[in-house]
Amino acid sequence: MTPALAIDGLNKRFGGLPATRNVSFTVMPGERRLIIGPNGAGKTTLFNLMTGDLTADAGSVRLFGHELIGMPTQKRVHLGLARTYQILTLFPKESLLHNVKLALLGLDPVRWNPWTVLSARTAMNDAAHAALSKVGLDSSADRIVAETSYGERRRLELAMALAQKPKVLLLDEPLAGLSQEERKTVSALLKTIPRDVTIVMIEHDMDTALEFAERITLLHYGEVIVEGSRAEVVADPRTREVYLGD
Amino acid sequence: MKRGTLIALAIAIALLIALPRIITHEFYINMASQCLIFAILALSCNLMLGFGGMVSLGHAAYIGVAGYTCILLTVAGWNPLLAAIAALMVSTASAGLFGMLSLRAPGLGFLMITLALGQIVWGIAYRANNLTGGDNGISLPARPQPFGFDITGATSFYYFTLIVFAVALFGMGRFARSPFGASLMGTRDQPRRMRMLGHNVWMVQWLTFVIAGFWGSVGGLMFVYYNVFLSPHALTLQQSAEILLMAILGGASSLTGPVVGAVIITLIKNVASTYVERWNTLLGAIFIAVIIFMPLGLVPGFRALWQRFASRNKPKPTAPAPEPAE
Repeated sequence: MTPALAIDGLNKRFGGLPATRNVSFTVMPGERRLIIGPNGAGKTTLFNLMTGDLTADAGSVRLFGHELIGMPTQKRVHLGLARTYQILTLFPKESLLHNVKLALLGLDPVRWNPWTVLSARTAMNDAAHAALSKVGLDSSADRIVAETSYGERRRLELAMALAQKPKVLLLDEPLAGLSQEERKTVSALLKTIPRDVTIVMIEHDMDTALEFAERITLLHYGEVIVEGSRAEVVADPRTREVYLGD
Repeated sequence: MKRGTLIALAIAIALLIALPRIITHEFYINMASQCLIFAILALSCNLMLGFGGMVSLGHAAYIGVAGYTCILLTVAGWNPLLAAIAALMVSTASAGLFGMLSLRAPGLGFLMITLALGQIVWGIAYRANNLTGGDNGISLPARPQPFGFDITGATSFYYFTLIVFAVALFGMGRFARSPFGASLMGTRDQPRRMRMLGHNVWMVQWLTFVIAGFWGSVGGLMFVYYNVFLSPHALTLQQSAEILLMAILGGASSLTGPVVGAVIITLIKNVASTYVERWNTLLGAIFIAVIIFMPLGLVPGFRALWQRFASRNKPKPTAPAPEPAE
């Protein structure tokens, strides 16, 4: 079976500082993969290399067999890659509905149309409402993002990513900054994502993340030092040494 | 559309149609035509500035490319309509080239490249004596007669300009509300995020540059039809800066803002200058005052004031009466 993601020998340096060193791993379709590691381990850099926000110095990233290295970010998205950001990246002056519409437009050829009125496109309106409904935000569709709570914005990010019906979804700390209640809500949402979406997640909340993940990759100083099933990684002494502690 | 907006629109249309009957003096009718022509130029500049976040200081170049092409082809014996179409095509194609060069650098670099390109067009117009008449400029033999209508007189030309302005305003209004317009505004606010949503940021910005160039060329063509003459003085950096200023003064984030800015600046330039010697100082003072008190421009500023006024006059909801004790 072709892996959903195949990363091979991925290297990135910022001047003299290596951010990722020879990172290699594969994620199978439908898998829930957790990326863990201390701060500065290179987790978000790895995501940025996968999406094209950063250019890799060497190595390969394949999405269902398609080489992504050298490909513009938007083309990677058209191949089925979506992500959420650790630091929320939304359109704060716009409504929640408009934010989701921008996500839908990204994959719709109608985005090039300078003549029709966007608000009159009922099919897109319905699709945007449906995406918001999945994350429990449909009743707030017309609210401005800047007026919503942090938890609602996290859910909006998720709605935008899911609206694109991705094949591989990269979640960068989706629970960061959330209250206990909000964490429960978002965790429950993540569990509802269908199996045809492969998920790679960076998360520090180990209770929630371990419950979610099937396989785990531990990064340290930009290198993969442990990889395996949940039980294998948790039991590995190197995981305790560099991340979990005693 | 809201009822208030519809009423305001109807009043504006009625006023614009009745204008030559209200101000019968030819000078002021011509002034109204100039306001509309500069409104088209300011609106086109605003597609890049207000909706795309791209500040251009080379917009007057389109007056030059479209204007000189039209005059040269008309002098060469082309049919005025074909000359106009060719001029728009050449000028829009030049916008495509300018866009490719300018978009290589973001922010200040973009601004400087547009400025340089505007200066190159000005330099060619100034130096190519054989083609452009150099500093003396060249004349258009006569105004065209669109569909047989004579637009030589001030009133008929005003109505012709009003029709072109209405088409331009409608076209750019649709653009702003379209899926492409939404993508453009997204690339202005969060380019990185837009890429990750599947939008080709560079292409969106380049196409906007081309569309703005097209409407700028329409404005340039109208400028030449109005003056029946073109010289390098119409393509200076000051001209580009004035067009940019019109958009900023009126409010770059709105559709009507550049129109208001164009009217104010054109009137100050042409009317106030007959009474005030230092009209440039007056313009500068007005601009500074607007930026201090209404940093987003006049239209958004007055809109915010109106909303504040309206909300103050709204009856406050009364507190619910306490439930009677059992």
